[in-house]
Amino acid sequence: MAFNYDNYLRMEKMPTLWCWGCGDGIVLKSFVRAVDSLGYAKDDICVVSGIGCSGRFSSYVDFNTVHTTHGRTVAFATGVKLANPTKKVVIVTGDGDAFAIGGNHTIHGARRNIDLTMIVIQNFIYGLTNSQTSPTTPQGMWTVTQKIGNIDPTFDACRLVEASGATFVAREAVTAPKKLEKVMKAALEHKGFAYIDALTNCHINLGRKNKMVAAMDTLDWIDSITVSKKKWDALPAEEQKNKLPTGILHHDDTKREYCDAYQMVIDAHQGKRGKITQDDFDKKI
Amino acid sequence: MSSIMTAPANTPVWVDSARCKACDICVDACPAGVLSMKADPHSTLGANIEIVMPDACIGCNECELSCPDFAIYVAEKKEFKFAKLTDSSKARQEAIANNGYRLPIDYKEAN
Repeated sequence: MAFNYDNYLRMEKMPTLWCWGCGDGIVLKSFVRAVDSLGYAKDDICVVSGIGCSGRFSSYVDFNTVHTTHGRTVAFATGVKLANPTKKVVIVTGDGDAFAIGGNHTIHGARRNIDLTMIVIQNFIYGLTNSQTSPTTPQGMWTVTQKIGNIDPTFDACRLVEASGATFVAREAVTAPKKLEKVMKAALEHKGFAYIDALTNCHINLGRKNKMVAAMDTLDWIDSITVSKKKWDALPAEEQKNKLPTGILHHDDTKREYCDAYQMVIDAHQGKRGKITQDDFDKKI
Repeated sequence: MSSIMTAPANTPVWVDSARCKACDICVDACPAGVLSMKADPHSTLGANIEIVMPDACIGCNECELSCPDFAIYVAEKKEFKFAKLTDSSKARQEAIANNGYRLPIDYKEAN
Protein backbone atom coordinates (compact mmCIF):
# COMPACT_ATOMS: atom_id res chain seq x y z
CA MET A 1 0.00 0.00 0.00
CA ALA A 2 1.44 3.28 -1.03
CA PHE A 3 0.13 6.81 -0.63
CA ASN A 4 -3.17 7.09 -2.51
CA TYR A 5 -2.93 10.22 -4.66
CA ASP A 6 -5.95 9.21 -6.75
CA ASN A 7 -8.30 10.19 -3.88
CA TYR A 8 -7.34 13.84 -4.40
CA LEU A 9 -7.09 13.90 -8.19
CA ARG A 10 -9.62 14.05 -11.00
CA MET A 11 -8.50 10.84 -12.63
CA GLU A 12 -10.55 11.45 -15.79
CA LYS A 13 -8.19 14.41 -16.51
CA MET A 14 -5.05 12.29 -16.25
CA PRO A 15 -2.41 12.10 -17.59
CA THR A 16 -1.49 15.74 -17.04
CA LEU A 17 -1.03 18.03 -20.01
CA TRP A 18 2.39 19.08 -18.67
CA CYS A 19 5.54 18.14 -20.57
CA TRP A 20 7.76 15.24 -19.51
CA GLY A 21 9.71 16.12 -16.37
CA CYS A 22 7.72 19.31 -15.65
CA GLY A 23 8.12 20.33 -12.02
CA ASP A 24 4.46 21.38 -11.84
CA GLY A 25 3.62 17.71 -11.26
CA ILE A 26 6.01 17.59 -8.30
CA VAL A 27 4.38 20.70 -6.81
CA LEU A 28 0.97 19.06 -7.32
CA LYS A 29 2.15 15.91 -5.56
CA SER A 30 3.69 17.82 -2.64
CA PHE A 31 0.49 19.84 -2.24
CA VAL A 32 -1.69 16.71 -2.17
CA ARG A 33 0.58 15.11 0.43
CA ALA A 34 0.59 18.28 2.56
CA VAL A 35 -3.22 18.49 2.50
CA ASP A 36 -3.49 14.79 3.36
CA SER A 37 -1.11 15.00 6.32
CA LEU A 38 -3.05 17.97 7.75
CA GLY A 39 -6.29 15.99 7.45
CA TYR A 40 -8.41 18.65 5.74
CA ALA A 41 -11.68 17.51 4.19
CA LYS A 42 -11.73 17.93 0.42
CA ASP A 43 -14.68 20.29 0.66
CA ASP A 44 -12.83 22.64 3.03
CA ILE A 45 -10.31 23.68 0.40
CA CYS A 46 -10.71 25.93 -2.62
CA VAL A 47 -7.92 26.06 -5.19
CA VAL A 48 -7.82 29.16 -7.39
CA SER A 49 -5.55 29.24 -10.42
CA GLY A 50 -4.92 31.69 -13.25
CA ILE A 51 -3.64 31.32 -16.78
CA GLY A 52 -0.45 29.53 -17.73
CA CYS A 53 0.80 25.99 -17.36
CA SER A 54 0.23 26.46 -13.62
CA GLY A 55 -3.43 27.26 -14.39
CA ARG A 56 -4.00 23.59 -15.20
CA PHE A 57 -3.36 22.79 -11.52
CA SER A 58 -6.96 23.51 -10.51
CA SER A 59 -8.28 21.11 -13.17
CA TYR A 60 -6.39 18.17 -11.72
CA VAL A 61 -7.21 18.45 -8.00
CA ASP A 62 -10.53 17.20 -6.66
CA PHE A 63 -11.24 20.12 -4.29
CA ASN A 64 -13.47 23.13 -4.91
CA THR A 65 -11.66 24.83 -7.78
CA VAL A 66 -11.79 28.05 -9.79
CA HIS A 67 -9.81 28.53 -13.01
CA THR A 68 -9.79 32.30 -13.36
CA THR A 69 -8.66 34.98 -15.81
CA HIS A 70 -5.04 35.96 -16.36
CA GLY A 71 -3.42 37.52 -13.28
CA ARG A 72 -6.63 37.84 -11.27
CA THR A 73 -6.15 34.89 -8.94
CA VAL A 74 -5.67 37.00 -5.81
CA ALA A 75 -8.75 39.09 -6.61
CA PHE A 76 -10.95 36.00 -7.09
CA ALA A 77 -9.45 34.28 -4.05
CA THR A 78 -10.06 37.37 -1.87
CA GLY A 79 -13.75 37.21 -2.78
CA VAL A 80 -13.96 33.48 -2.12
CA LYS A 81 -12.24 33.90 1.25
CA LEU A 82 -14.37 36.84 2.46
CA ALA A 83 -17.53 34.90 1.60
CA ASN A 84 -16.24 31.68 3.23
CA PRO A 85 -13.89 32.73 6.04
CA THR A 86 -13.82 29.24 7.58
CA LYS A 87 -12.52 27.55 4.41
CA LYS A 88 -8.90 27.28 3.23
CA VAL A 89 -8.30 29.16 -0.01
CA VAL A 90 -5.16 28.29 -1.96
CA ILE A 91 -3.89 30.24 -4.96
CA VAL A 92 -1.72 28.44 -7.48
CA THR A 93 -0.22 30.71 -10.08
CA GLY A 94 2.88 31.24 -12.20
CA ASP A 95 5.56 33.92 -12.14
CA GLY A 96 4.16 35.86 -15.09
CA ASP A 97 0.59 35.53 -13.84
CA ALA A 98 1.46 36.68 -10.31
CA PHE A 99 4.04 39.41 -10.95
CA ALA A 100 3.46 40.84 -14.43
CA ILE A 101 -0.22 40.63 -15.35
CA GLY A 102 -1.40 40.29 -11.73
CA GLY A 103 1.39 42.22 -10.00
CA ASN A 104 -0.90 44.75 -8.37
CA HIS A 105 -3.32 42.13 -7.07
CA THR A 106 -0.44 40.23 -5.48
CA ILE A 107 1.01 43.19 -3.62
CA HIS A 108 -2.39 44.33 -2.37
CA GLY A 109 -3.35 40.82 -1.26
CA ALA A 110 -0.11 40.71 0.71
CA ARG A 111 -0.72 44.23 2.09
CA ARG A 112 -4.12 43.21 3.47
CA ASN A 113 -2.64 40.08 5.06
CA ILE A 114 -5.73 38.11 4.09
CA ASP A 115 -5.67 34.41 5.02
CA LEU A 116 -4.68 32.96 1.63
CA THR A 117 -1.96 30.48 0.74
CA MET A 118 -0.28 31.59 -2.48
CA ILE A 119 1.90 29.07 -4.27
CA VAL A 120 3.80 30.62 -7.16
CA ILE A 121 5.14 27.97 -9.52
CA GLN A 122 8.17 29.86 -10.66
CA ASN A 123 9.83 28.59 -13.84
CA PHE A 124 11.60 31.83 -14.86
CA ILE A 125 9.75 32.14 -18.21
CA TYR A 126 6.33 32.31 -19.88
CA GLY A 127 6.17 28.61 -20.67
CA LEU A 128 2.65 28.13 -22.03
CA THR A 129 3.02 30.81 -24.70
CA ASN A 130 6.55 29.69 -25.71
CA SER A 131 9.42 31.51 -24.05
CA GLN A 132 8.62 35.21 -23.62
CA THR A 133 10.60 37.12 -20.97
CA SER A 134 8.88 36.98 -17.57
CA PRO A 135 9.56 39.23 -14.55
CA THR A 136 11.88 36.56 -13.14
CA THR A 137 13.84 35.51 -16.23
CA PRO A 138 17.55 35.78 -15.34
CA GLN A 139 19.50 38.46 -17.20
CA GLY A 140 21.51 37.25 -20.16
CA MET A 141 19.26 34.30 -20.96
CA TRP A 142 17.73 33.76 -24.39
CA THR A 143 14.00 34.35 -24.66
CA VAL A 144 11.84 34.58 -27.77
CA THR A 145 11.22 38.29 -27.13
CA GLN A 146 14.90 39.02 -26.41
CA LYS A 147 16.74 36.70 -28.70
CA ILE A 148 20.16 38.25 -28.20
CA GLY A 149 19.80 37.99 -24.41
CA ASN A 150 17.46 39.34 -21.73
CA ILE A 151 18.58 42.71 -20.29
CA ASP A 152 15.69 43.17 -17.82
CA PRO A 153 16.57 42.96 -14.11
CA THR A 154 14.60 40.35 -12.16
CA PHE A 155 12.12 40.59 -9.32
CA ASP A 156 13.09 39.05 -6.00
CA ALA A 157 9.51 37.88 -5.51
CA CYS A 158 9.95 36.82 -1.87
CA ARG A 159 11.29 40.22 -0.83
CA LEU A 160 8.54 41.95 -2.81
CA VAL A 161 5.68 40.21 -0.98
CA GLU A 162 7.45 40.49 2.37
CA ALA A 163 7.83 44.26 1.91
CA SER A 164 4.16 44.42 0.84
CA GLY A 165 3.07 42.90 4.15
CA ALA A 166 2.87 39.10 3.73
CA THR A 167 3.31 37.36 7.08
CA PHE A 168 4.67 34.01 5.84
CA VAL A 169 7.23 33.86 3.05
CA ALA A 170 9.07 30.71 1.97
CA ARG A 171 11.02 29.48 -1.03
CA GLU A 172 11.71 25.88 -2.02
CA ALA A 173 12.67 24.11 -5.22
CA VAL A 174 11.14 20.95 -6.71
CA THR A 175 14.55 19.33 -6.37
CA ALA A 176 13.71 18.96 -2.65
CA PRO A 177 10.13 17.61 -2.62
CA LYS A 178 10.23 16.69 1.09
CA LYS A 179 11.12 20.28 2.05
CA LEU A 180 8.49 21.62 -0.36
CA GLU A 181 5.84 19.51 1.38
CA LYS A 182 7.03 20.77 4.78
CA VAL A 183 6.78 24.47 3.87
CA MET A 184 3.37 23.86 2.26
CA LYS A 185 2.14 22.37 5.54
CA ALA A 186 3.48 25.36 7.48
CA ALA A 187 1.90 27.79 4.98
CA LEU A 188 -1.50 26.06 5.09
CA GLU A 189 -1.47 26.19 8.89
CA HIS A 190 -0.48 29.87 8.96
CA LYS A 191 -3.28 32.42 9.51
CA GLY A 192 -2.52 35.33 7.20
CA PHE A 193 -1.06 35.81 3.73
CA ALA A 194 1.31 32.89 3.14
CA TYR A 195 3.54 33.00 0.08
CA ILE A 196 5.57 30.10 -1.33
CA ASP A 197 8.01 30.52 -4.18
CA ALA A 198 8.22 27.02 -5.72
CA LEU A 199 11.15 27.01 -8.14
CA THR A 200 10.55 24.63 -11.04
CA ASN A 201 12.13 23.70 -14.33
CA CYS A 202 10.95 24.60 -17.80
CA HIS A 203 13.52 22.75 -19.84
CA ILE A 204 11.25 22.94 -22.88
CA ASN A 205 10.91 26.71 -23.14
CA LEU A 206 13.70 28.07 -20.95
CA GLY A 207 16.18 25.24 -21.26
CA ARG A 208 16.10 24.43 -24.94
CA LYS A 209 17.97 27.60 -26.00
CA ASN A 210 19.92 28.07 -22.78
CA LYS A 211 21.95 24.84 -22.86
CA MET A 212 19.65 22.98 -20.40
CA VAL A 213 17.67 20.87 -22.82
CA ALA A 214 16.83 17.91 -20.54
CA ALA A 215 14.72 18.09 -17.38
CA MET A 216 17.71 17.07 -15.26
CA ASP A 217 19.92 19.81 -16.78
CA THR A 218 17.48 22.53 -15.69
CA LEU A 219 16.98 20.92 -12.27
CA ASP A 220 20.76 20.80 -11.80
CA TRP A 221 20.90 24.51 -12.65
CA ILE A 222 18.16 25.21 -10.04
CA ASP A 223 20.22 23.21 -7.54
CA SER A 224 23.26 25.35 -8.33
CA ILE A 225 21.46 28.67 -7.70
CA THR A 226 19.69 27.72 -4.45
CA VAL A 227 21.15 27.44 -0.98
CA SER A 228 19.49 27.06 2.41
CA LYS A 229 18.70 30.28 4.30
CA LYS A 230 21.19 29.43 7.03
CA LYS A 231 24.05 28.97 4.58
CA TRP A 232 22.96 31.98 2.53
CA ASP A 233 23.17 34.22 5.62
CA ALA A 234 26.79 33.15 6.11
CA LEU A 235 27.81 33.93 2.52
CA PRO A 236 29.70 37.16 1.68
CA ALA A 237 27.50 39.81 -0.01
CA GLU A 238 29.26 39.29 -3.33
CA GLU A 239 28.10 35.64 -3.49
CA GLN A 240 24.66 36.28 -1.96
CA LYS A 241 23.41 38.16 -5.03
CA ASN A 242 23.81 35.10 -7.27
CA LYS A 243 22.12 32.60 -4.92
CA LEU A 244 18.51 32.30 -3.82
CA PRO A 245 17.96 31.40 -0.14
CA THR A 246 15.48 28.55 0.47
CA GLY A 247 13.37 27.63 3.48
CA ILE A 248 11.07 29.85 5.56
CA LEU A 249 12.35 33.38 4.97
CA HIS A 250 9.85 35.38 7.01
CA HIS A 251 7.23 34.40 9.58
CA ASP A 252 5.23 36.88 11.64
CA ASP A 253 2.14 35.92 13.68
CA THR A 254 1.53 39.32 15.25
CA LYS A 255 -0.28 41.15 12.42
CA ARG A 256 -4.07 41.28 12.24
CA GLU A 257 -5.61 39.06 9.59
CA TYR A 258 -7.97 40.72 7.08
CA CYS A 259 -11.04 38.51 7.67
CA ASP A 260 -10.84 39.40 11.39
CA ALA A 261 -10.66 43.08 10.51
CA TYR A 262 -13.56 42.67 8.08
CA GLN A 263 -15.65 41.22 10.91
CA MET A 264 -15.59 44.73 12.46
CA VAL A 265 -17.24 46.08 9.29
CA ILE A 266 -19.91 43.36 9.43
CA ASP A 267 -20.53 44.04 13.13
CA ALA A 268 -20.78 47.81 12.53
CA HIS A 269 -23.38 47.29 9.80
CA GLN A 270 -25.36 44.93 12.01
CA GLY A 271 -25.38 47.51 14.80
CA LYS A 272 -23.31 45.35 17.16
CA ARG A 273 -20.68 48.09 17.46
CA GLY A 274 -20.11 51.73 16.53
CA LYS A 275 -18.10 53.02 13.58
CA ILE A 276 -14.50 51.94 13.11
CA THR A 277 -12.01 54.52 14.36
CA GLN A 278 -8.22 54.78 14.58
CA ASP A 279 -8.43 53.41 18.13
CA ASP A 280 -9.18 49.99 16.62
CA PHE A 281 -5.67 49.79 15.15
CA ASP A 282 -2.20 49.64 16.67
CA LYS A 283 -0.57 51.16 13.62
CA LYS A 284 -2.03 54.64 13.05
CA ILE A 285 -0.19 55.78 9.88
CA MET B 1 -9.13 2.81 -5.15
CA SER B 2 -7.20 1.96 -8.24
CA SER B 3 -5.10 -1.16 -8.26
CA ILE B 4 -1.79 0.68 -8.74
CA MET B 5 -1.84 1.81 -5.08
CA THR B 6 -1.86 -1.73 -3.76
CA ALA B 7 1.61 -3.16 -3.54
CA PRO B 8 2.22 -6.34 -5.50
CA ALA B 9 3.30 -9.02 -3.01
CA ASN B 10 6.80 -8.59 -1.66
CA THR B 11 7.75 -5.71 -3.96
CA PRO B 12 9.64 -2.60 -2.73
CA VAL B 13 8.98 -0.36 -5.74
CA TRP B 14 6.60 -0.66 -8.68
CA VAL B 15 5.57 1.50 -11.65
CA ASP B 16 2.61 2.25 -13.88
CA SER B 17 4.48 2.42 -17.17
CA ALA B 18 1.45 3.87 -18.98
CA ARG B 19 1.88 7.05 -16.91
CA CYS B 20 5.66 7.34 -17.38
CA LYS B 21 6.82 10.15 -19.72
CA ALA B 22 10.52 9.14 -19.52
CA CYS B 23 11.86 12.36 -17.99
CA ASP B 24 14.78 10.62 -16.13
CA ILE B 25 14.09 12.45 -12.82
CA CYS B 26 13.41 9.30 -10.77
CA VAL B 27 16.50 7.56 -12.14
CA ASP B 28 18.61 10.55 -11.14
CA ALA B 29 16.97 10.74 -7.70
CA CYS B 30 17.61 7.07 -6.81
CA PRO B 31 20.76 6.68 -4.68
CA ALA B 32 20.95 2.89 -5.07
CA GLY B 33 20.82 2.13 -8.81
CA VAL B 34 17.39 0.49 -8.65
CA LEU B 35 15.88 2.26 -11.66
CA SER B 36 16.93 2.66 -15.25
CA MET B 37 15.43 3.77 -18.56
CA LYS B 38 14.86 1.21 -21.30
CA ALA B 39 14.20 1.69 -25.01
CA ASP B 40 10.47 1.74 -25.84
CA PRO B 41 9.50 2.62 -29.43
CA HIS B 42 5.87 3.28 -28.38
CA SER B 43 6.79 6.05 -25.93
CA THR B 44 7.03 9.73 -27.02
CA LEU B 45 10.66 10.02 -26.01
CA GLY B 46 11.53 6.47 -27.09
CA ALA B 47 12.10 5.27 -23.52
CA ASN B 48 10.23 4.04 -20.46
CA ILE B 49 11.07 3.26 -16.84
CA GLU B 50 12.37 -0.13 -15.78
CA ILE B 51 13.16 -1.51 -12.33
CA VAL B 52 16.49 -3.23 -12.84
CA MET B 53 17.50 -4.10 -9.27
CA PRO B 54 14.54 -4.13 -6.85
CA ASP B 55 16.57 -5.94 -4.18
CA ALA B 56 18.82 -2.87 -3.78
CA CYS B 57 15.93 -0.48 -2.92
CA ILE B 58 16.52 1.31 0.39
CA GLY B 59 12.97 2.73 0.64
CA CYS B 60 14.01 6.40 0.70
CA ASN B 61 10.92 7.36 -1.36
CA GLU B 62 12.86 9.97 -3.39
CA CYS B 63 11.74 8.50 -6.75
CA GLU B 64 8.07 8.55 -5.78
CA LEU B 65 8.19 12.10 -4.42
CA SER B 66 10.02 13.49 -7.45
CA CYS B 67 7.92 11.75 -10.13
CA PRO B 68 5.72 14.48 -11.68
CA ASP B 69 3.33 12.00 -13.28
CA PHE B 70 2.25 9.71 -10.41
CA ALA B 71 3.86 6.75 -12.14
CA ILE B 72 6.09 5.27 -9.44
CA TYR B 73 5.29 3.95 -5.97
CA VAL B 74 7.36 2.73 -3.05
CA ALA B 75 6.14 0.34 -0.35
CA GLU B 76 5.81 1.66 3.19
CA LYS B 77 8.70 1.01 5.56
CA LYS B 78 6.57 -1.15 7.87
CA GLU B 79 5.42 -3.36 4.99
CA PHE B 80 8.73 -4.26 3.44
CA LYS B 81 12.24 -4.89 4.73
CA PHE B 82 14.41 -2.66 2.56
CA ALA B 83 18.11 -3.19 1.80
CA LYS B 84 20.97 -1.05 3.14
CA LEU B 85 22.83 1.29 0.78
CA THR B 86 25.96 -0.57 -0.35
CA ASP B 87 29.05 0.43 -2.36
CA SER B 88 28.00 -1.77 -5.26
CA SER B 89 24.59 -0.02 -5.32
CA LYS B 90 26.31 3.36 -5.44
CA ALA B 91 28.66 2.18 -8.22
CA ARG B 92 25.71 0.92 -10.27
CA GLN B 93 23.87 4.22 -9.78
CA GLU B 94 26.92 6.14 -11.02
CA ALA B 95 27.22 3.87 -14.07
CA ILE B 96 23.52 4.43 -14.90
CA ALA B 97 23.76 8.21 -14.46
CA ASN B 98 26.88 8.40 -16.64
CA ASN B 99 25.27 6.33 -19.38
CA GLY B 100 22.35 8.64 -20.14
CA TYR B 101 20.20 7.12 -17.34
CA ARG B 102 20.33 3.63 -18.85
CA LEU B 103 22.04 0.64 -17.29
CA PRO B 104 25.03 -0.25 -19.54
CA ILE B 105 24.28 -3.51 -21.37
CA ASP B 106 27.56 -5.12 -20.34
CA TYR B 107 27.46 -3.82 -16.76
CA LYS B 108 29.08 -6.11 -14.20
CA GLU B 109 28.40 -5.79 -10.47
CA ALA B 110 31.31 -4.25 -8.55
CA ASN B 111 31.76 -7.09 -6.07
